[in-house]
Amino acid sequence: MLNSLLTGIGKIISKSASLFNLGNGSTWPGHIALNINPQFIKQILSKSDIKIILVAGTNGKTTTSSLISNALKQNRKTIIRNKSGANLLNGIASTLISYSDGAGKIKKDFAIFEVDENTIPQILAQITPDYLLLLNLFRDQLDRYGEINTIAENWKSSLQRLTSSTTLILNADDPLIANLGQKLKAKIKYFSCNDLSIDNYKNPTNQASDSGYCPNCGEKLNYKRIIFSHLGDWLCPKCNLKKPKPDIDNFSFYPLSGVYNKYNTHAAVLTLKQNGLTDKKIEESFKTFKPAFGRQEEIFYKGKKIQVFLSKNPTSFNQSFQTIKDMKAVTILIILNDRIPDGRDISWIWDVDLKGIENFKNIYLSGDRVYDMALRLKYELGIKDYELKVKVNDELKKAIDDSVQTLNNKETLFILPTYSAMLDARKILTGKKIL
Amino acid sequence: MNKKPSTKNQELIIGWLYPELMSTYGDSGNIMVLLKRCQWRGINVKIINIDQKSKTQDLKSIDLLFAGGAQDKEQSIVIKYLKKHETEIRKLIEREVPALFVCGAPQLFGKYYEPSVGKRIEGLGIFDMTSIHPGPKKERLIGNIVADVNWQNLYPKNQELRTKSYMVGFENHGGRTCLGPTAVPFAKVLKGYGNNGEDKTEGVVYKNAIGTYFHGPLLSKNPEIADFLIAKALFIKYSKEIELKKLDNTLEQKARQMIARRLGIKL
Repeated sequence: MLNSLLTGIGKIISKSASLFNLGNGSTWPGHIALNINPQFIKQILSKSDIKIILVAGTNGKTTTSSLISNALKQNRKTIIRNKSGANLLNGIASTLISYSDGAGKIKKDFAIFEVDENTIPQILAQITPDYLLLLNLFRDQLDRYGEINTIAENWKSSLQRLTSSTTLILNADDPLIANLGQKLKAKIKYFSCNDLSIDNYKNPTNQASDSGYCPNCGEKLNYKRIIFSHLGDWLCPKCNLKKPKPDIDNFSFYPLSGVYNKYNTHAAVLTLKQNGLTDKKIEESFKTFKPAFGRQEEIFYKGKKIQVFLSKNPTSFNQSFQTIKDMKAVTILIILNDRIPDGRDISWIWDVDLKGIENFKNIYLSGDRVYDMALRLKYELGIKDYELKVKVNDELKKAIDDSVQTLNNKETLFILPTYSAMLDARKILTGKKIL
Repeated sequence: MNKKPSTKNQELIIGWLYPELMSTYGDSGNIMVLLKRCQWRGINVKIINIDQKSKTQDLKSIDLLFAGGAQDKEQSIVIKYLKKHETEIRKLIEREVPALFVCGAPQLFGKYYEPSVGKRIEGLGIFDMTSIHPGPKKERLIGNIVADVNWQNLYPKNQELRTKSYMVGFENHGGRTCLGPTAVPFAKVLKGYGNNGEDKTEGVVYKNAIGTYFHGPLLSKNPEIADFLIAKALFIKYSKEIELKKLDNTLEQKARQMIARRLGIKL
C-alpha cells in the first residue's frame, strides 16, 4: 500500500520535474521513496516476476548493458534499465517507480541495472540478482572511490550472501575480479579475451597498470600475456593462483572497435547464452547495434563526421587512444574537465600513454582544465611540435567549430572527452541534453 | 663579472625511489618534467630506479632524489627497503643533494607515521615531524591547494635567485603531519589543507630536501620547484653556481591561474 503511494507520488515528481525542466528528475523520486521506505527496492522487486541483471565495473557498464538489452529486445523480451549515470540506489529506485503499475508491480521480463562500484554492497542487500556481471576494476577517481583493493574487498564480502540462484559473470583476465569467484555459493562463469594480435608483454610500460599483485598473497604476478593494463594471462609464482579457465574468449562478430569492447562483448554473450539465445541470434542483434551515447557514437555536425570516445580514466583513455590510432585518426579534440562526475583530480593525465601522438596532424584541446592538458602535451611532444600541432581553446563550442573546420569531407574528428565533457560536447553537437 | 658557465655537456643522475611501490596518481609526471627541463637546456639525464634489487652502491652517484606517494598498505613494505639504505640516503641529504618527496612519501622521512590500521611505522627521521592518520572514519583532506612557497629557506644565501611564486596543485591525504620545533615548513597554505588542515603549514624543508603533501605531477604546474631542484643538483655536483637557461612558463602560469581564480586567489 505504502509502495503504491510512493510510486504514485514518484511518478508525479518525475513528470513535473521534466515538465518544468527542473533538471535531473531521474533520481529524485527514488531518493524520496527510499527515505520514507528504505526497503522500497526489495519490496517492489519481490512482488514482480522479473529477471535481474546487474552490471558493475570501472569501465564498460553502459556498453555491456546496451549490448544485452539490444539483443533481448530483438528477441521480443521487455526490458527496464536505469539511465547511465543514475547508478546509485536512488537511480535504481527511480527506475522501478517509473515502470511499476498502480499495484506497485513491474510487468517486464528483464531489469538491467548499471551499478556504481561503491554501491554494490548496498544494492546486494536489497536485490538478489539472477546475473551479476563484474567487468573490471581500474584506477578511477582516487578522490571519490579510493583504492581498487578496497572496492574488491567490499565486493568480496557482499558476494557471500548470494546463493546458487545467482550466476556471477566474471572477468578471468582481471586478477582482482577473477579472485572474487573463490568459495562462493553462487554459480560462476568466466569470460576472457583470446586476441592473439595483442601482446603487450614486451612493452609493459605501455600501461596504466594498477593491480599486478596477487589478490590472494600479495606477490607480484607473472603474465604470460598482457592484453592491456593488468588484464591478461596471469599467474602467481608464490601461491599458484592463476587465471581461471574461461567459458568464452572469442566471438564471431564484434559490433564495436577496440579490444576493451571485446571484453564487453564476451560478457554480454555469456549472459545472453545463459538466457537461451543462440550465437546466431546474438550475432544478428549485434549487427544492428547502435553504440550508447559517447561510446564510439557517430554524430554528423556541419556536414562533417565526428566520433566520440568517452575517455574517463587512464585505462579508458589509453584504450580510446589506441583504438583511434588503429583507425588512422588525423585530427583529435581532447576535452578535460574536473567536475564531480569526472573526478576533481586530473593527475591521471600523466599516467596515460601518448606514444604516437606526434603522428597526428591537428590536436585540439578544451575543457575546464585545458591548460593542464596543454602542459601534458608540451612535455610529451616537446616545444617545437607542441607549437606546430596543438591548439588550445577554453571555449568548447569554438574548439569544436575550429577543429571541424580543418576536416576535409573524408576525415573524421575524434573527440576524447571526460564524462561531463562528453555531455557538454554532445549538447553542442546534437542540440540536446541527455541527463 | 665572469659569465656563469653553461650547462652543456653536464649530466645529472636522478634516483627514483621504489617507483612500483610508491606511485599513486601521475607521480611519474614529475620525472618527465625534470627530464625534459634538463634536456631542453642541453643537460644530459640518467634516471635510475631504486627498487628491491638495488644495492647501496647504486645510491652513491645520485644527484637528485625523488619519491612519489605510497598507499598505506605499501608504506610498511617500502620503509623496510628504505631502512636498508638509510645511511646512504642520509649522507645524500646531508651533502645537500636536492630531493623531492611528495604525497605520502614525506611521512616515511619524518620521525614516525601512524597509519589508520596497523602498527606505527618508524621513519628515517630526516624531517623533524610526526604524522598520524586519525582513522578511516575521519575525513580525508582532498582538493585543490594553493600555497605560498617559503623561497627564503630554499635560497638562503643567494638574493638573486629568490623568486616569488605560488604553488598550485592537488592534495589527497588521510594522514595529518605536525612539524617539530626544528622543522621548517616548505610553504604557507593560502587555500586548502596542507600538513594538518589547521596550522597553515605545508610540507617541510631540510637542507635541499623538500617534503610536500601536494600529490601527483606537482612539478608540471610549478616549474620553479623543478628548476630549483635542477639548479641545486648541478651546484652540488659541479661545485659552482650555474645559471639555468630560462624557459617559457606561460602555459604553467595559465594552468595555475585557472585554479587560483576558482579559489578566489589572485596570482
